[in-house]
Amino acid sequence: VQISVDYTRCEGHGLCEDQAPEVFSLDDAGDLHYRFEGQDVPPDHATAAGRGAASCPVAALKVVP
Amino acid sequence: MTSTAAVPTYQADIYTDEALLEPYEHYRALRDLGPAVWLEAHGAYAVTRYADARAVLANTEDFHSANGIALNEPANSAILGCTLASDGELHAHLRQVVAHRLTPRSLRPMRETVTERADELVAELVQRRSFDAVSDLARALPLSIVPDFIGWPTEGREHLLRWAGANFDSFGPLNERAQQALPQCGEMAGFGAEIVRTGNVLPGSLGASVLESRDKGDITTEQTMMLMLDYLAPSLDTTISAVGSAIWLFGQFPDQWDRIREDPSLIPNAVNEVVRYESPIRAFGRLAVNDTEVDGVPIPAGSRVLVVYAAANRDERKFTDPDVFDVTRADAVHQLGFGYGEHGCAGQALARMEAESLLAALARTVTRFELGRPERALNNLIRALGSLPVTVHTEG
Repeated sequence: VQISVDYTRCEGHGLCEDQAPEVFSLDDAGDLHYRFEGQDVPPDHATAAGRGAASCPVAALKVVP
Repeated sequence: MTSTAAVPTYQADIYTDEALLEPYEHYRALRDLGPAVWLEAHGAYAVTRYADARAVLANTEDFHSANGIALNEPANSAILGCTLASDGELHAHLRQVVAHRLTPRSLRPMRETVTERADELVAELVQRRSFDAVSDLARALPLSIVPDFIGWPTEGREHLLRWAGANFDSFGPLNERAQQALPQCGEMAGFGAEIVRTGNVLPGSLGASVLESRDKGDITTEQTMMLMLDYLAPSLDTTISAVGSAIWLFGQFPDQWDRIREDPSLIPNAVNEVVRYESPIRAFGRLAVNDTEVDGVPIPAGSRVLVVYAAANRDERKFTDPDVFDVTRADAVHQLGFGYGEHGCAGQALARMEAESLLAALARTVTRFELGRPERALNNLIRALGSLPVTVHTEG
């Protein structure tokens, strides 16, 4: 499973970070950093990544099966 | 537009006083009837199941906001071209002018102000012990924060709540509430236009930056007028509704308040749960611009589709025991009360900040909310209390 991140749509609401800080983080500029950019999410992080993606209020994060 | 045999229909008017007071059985019936249900009384398809509601909000190709938000033509025409009622590139462009001022990061400097005001307000009310949780608490904070933030001139503020309420009433079916509201929406638009003409906004405010965007040529004067109202009208009643409902719920479910007091880190989730349980915005519409479907139910091009957030947020297909108020609910964050996707509420960070600050201030001192008799404020779009007498008990 992969997570696609639409960085232009991300407004830095930070709900993904609340849900899965080990996968998503916002820096001091409010920009999103996604730990597994462009790669498959390792199985031990898949649940957290999915939870973070599902919490995005503006649909900037999507789970790609 | 007529319904086909395959499409379940629902006869009842879901905007009568009775239905607005007790909506949840209607919503359950609609969810059980199917993914999309033809509302005879309103000439629209209701989408009330969580997964379908979310899918419609995400599908901006087939479901448009322009001419789709309200359940009646006059209101849709009046708001055409504002961020709420635009699509695609125009929407992205308009949203960009304002949304960057509303992100959690941009709002960071506001946190101190909001927290301080919430603390002061709560300290004063706790001292009084008995107060109205709507007028003295829920309304007081947003009114002391939002008009300044938007930069609205001091004169004219006395009309804000009436105008904002009218705005939301106008989005319903063209019932008596909506008909009475429409002229007042005109008043508000007139006031907004006047502000744009005279440039009478507080320096450094969101409104001032909207005017700068106009001066730079990023947006037209007409768009500027729309944007002046776009974020003001929705930023008051919604937050007021959520805060009033929070006190009402914590008064009824004191064990949930104990949870918050034991672990204040639950407050952000509690705000999600309040918004899930008593969604401030009942529903927004969309216009199907192509022949499409909702989970197998055909929706012809030109149909109105009503996405009922308040029903989706109580969907038993999504939430376990949806009629239980539970501040520890793990998936409360999935609630659709702020909408979802491209049109997801741009002001939610500010709304969350206000609600969280008030609950945090209350949790430090208040052990119990003793409720008096609540009165509902009936509005076509907003579910809210108009009055909630409360006596607070404190430790010691």
